[in-house]
Amino acid sequence: MEPRGSSGVGSGNSGTYTPEIAESLRFEEEIQSLIDPSFDASSAAGGSFTALLGLPANQAVELLHHPGPGEPPASAATDTLRLPFGCSSTFVERAARFSVFATDDSPASSSGGGLSPGLKAEPPDSDSPPTLPAPAGKPRRPSKRKECEKSKVSRRPRWGFLSRKAVAKKSKSAEENTSAAKPAAEENTSGDKLPYVHVRARRGQATDSHSLAERARREKINARMKLLQELVPGCSKITGTALVLDEIINHVQSLQRQVEFLSMKLAAVNPRIDFSGLDHILSAECGPLAVASGCGGGASDPAMWASDTAASTGGIRRMPAPPQIWHLDVVHPQQSSTVWENNGVAHPHFLLSPATSLVGYDPASSVPLNSNRLKTEL
Amino acid sequence: MLSRTHFIYISACVAAFSPSCLLSFSVAAMQVTEAFKHAFLKQMLLGFQASAVSTNSMGFQERKNAIKLSADVAMAVARGSRKWTRGLIAGLSEEQQNRSFLQLILGEQYERRLMKPCYSSWKIPRCRKIVRRSLRVCCRRQKKKKNQSGVLARTLVEKRTQQLKRLVPGGESMDGFSLLDETLDYVLSLRAQVDLMQSLLTTVESSKLRSHSKRTLPERKASYVGK
Repeated sequence: MEPRGSSGVGSGNSGTYTPEIAESLRFEEEIQSLIDPSFDASSAAGGSFTALLGLPANQAVELLHHPGPGEPPASAATDTLRLPFGCSSTFVERAARFSVFATDDSPASSSGGGLSPGLKAEPPDSDSPPTLPAPAGKPRRPSKRKECEKSKVSRRPRWGFLSRKAVAKKSKSAEENTSAAKPAAEENTSGDKLPYVHVRARRGQATDSHSLAERARREKINARMKLLQELVPGCSKITGTALVLDEIINHVQSLQRQVEFLSMKLAAVNPRIDFSGLDHILSAECGPLAVASGCGGGASDPAMWASDTAASTGGIRRMPAPPQIWHLDVVHPQQSSTVWENNGVAHPHFLLSPATSLVGYDPASSVPLNSNRLKTEL
Repeated sequence: MLSRTHFIYISACVAAFSPSCLLSFSVAAMQVTEAFKHAFLKQMLLGFQASAVSTNSMGFQERKNAIKLSADVAMAVARGSRKWTRGLIAGLSEEQQNRSFLQLILGEQYERRLMKPCYSSWKIPRCRKIVRRSLRVCCRRQKKKKNQSGVLARTLVEKRTQQLKRLVPGGESMDGFSLLDETLDYVLSLRAQVDLMQSLLTTVESSKLRSHSKRTLPERKASYVGK
């Protein structure tokens, strides 16, 4: 694996990475930086992350699992999803696995192999890595420390990676269980798709199975809440679940109202536009849609429209009928009046050319409807 | 035969659409992709065509509802299979008048989609209610005195969660965690929908203005009248 610059993960170096992985890594980094402000995403994370990418999986994970100074107390002090060291270890672990996946190295090739079908099988717009913890309610406690097992490959990986990180890597300094750093490193690098998740209790917190499950669940929910907070504008300053939920509800309601309003406006504008021809255009011209709206000025090409008019008789037949009907149709007062005025001049170039495409290409479903309407109009 | 106005129409839609989505793209890179926008737009226009909103036999309210219906269906179809999309389609097909449209648009997928949420939609909330009720009874027996502020906060959150469940389609059958997940997804899709419809509207209006300014060309009039 070639080491990358500290400018970012996957910015330009997608030689061995699929675009999805690059995007997911970038996304993870961003989410990481969002969640953990003390985690300096631009320099430190990028640096450590990309630097560790250069190492093979074992070394990278072992490097991280020798805890840095002062890390556990810092993490123990904060109750929320604050795992400055732990999170980066999962990043690196995943990155290591990805690097393995990309280059087919042997040590974690099984996990890499296990990952690759999962990754490839995802739809292109889901970028998160394919691991997810077992749901919080499952009885994982006997297996937590005893075996060397890893989190399983998920079915529904889209947002799951965060919770997996939260759950899987809480650094623990109280050595109640027998697992030390060594087997931890082994756990991380060995094994691939075993159905148990490692949840390590933080220092000073109960390791009771119930409370662990509770905490895992709570942290999952907190992670989602944080994401939602970032999404909804003006929500990042608010603390407290109820207020944040309030904001989210307001936002959803406002979006729904906007959709209503826009559909109303579209309905007002609509009589001029015949959407039936556009389907054909979309299917035919999905590729070169990079035409800027600036060249819309060129659209009003008389030569083009003249050729259109030559080909259509049905469109012209439609033409005199609609303006009369629009005058009769009492619709939306202020906006539609302008529409009627425009139509009163009877120059629906727009209507004419869609009509030509309608005549030229009739999708089966729309033919009976439109022909009926034509008859009723005329 | 194809008019360039349509190219510009659609291209302007998509071009105007893409920059506005960059913000959501950076936050949640996975969802608002180009493919999603394309599929959304295409599906919406298909829906407009199928419900024939452009003909004038509909009243205003009818047309508005048809537009909104096809926009929602397009959003659900373009998004794929999520809990909220299934809930949305199930909710839309509750009303008889929508069913023919849905049948037309979705085709054979419609029956399959209808069958899916039935299973989970009522069983899970019922089980959950039973569990919660028993838990509440147990708690009440065990401890009479509760933490006041905790209770208050919890009931507030409960209320909000109920409200959110009503807002997000198919929300009643989700637990807290997946509710947040689906809300996230739903908010992104709603935003995409608003942006798409906004750009559609501006393109239509701008092209209307353009055609309005072009109407003074005499040779076209002659050709129309002549035929």
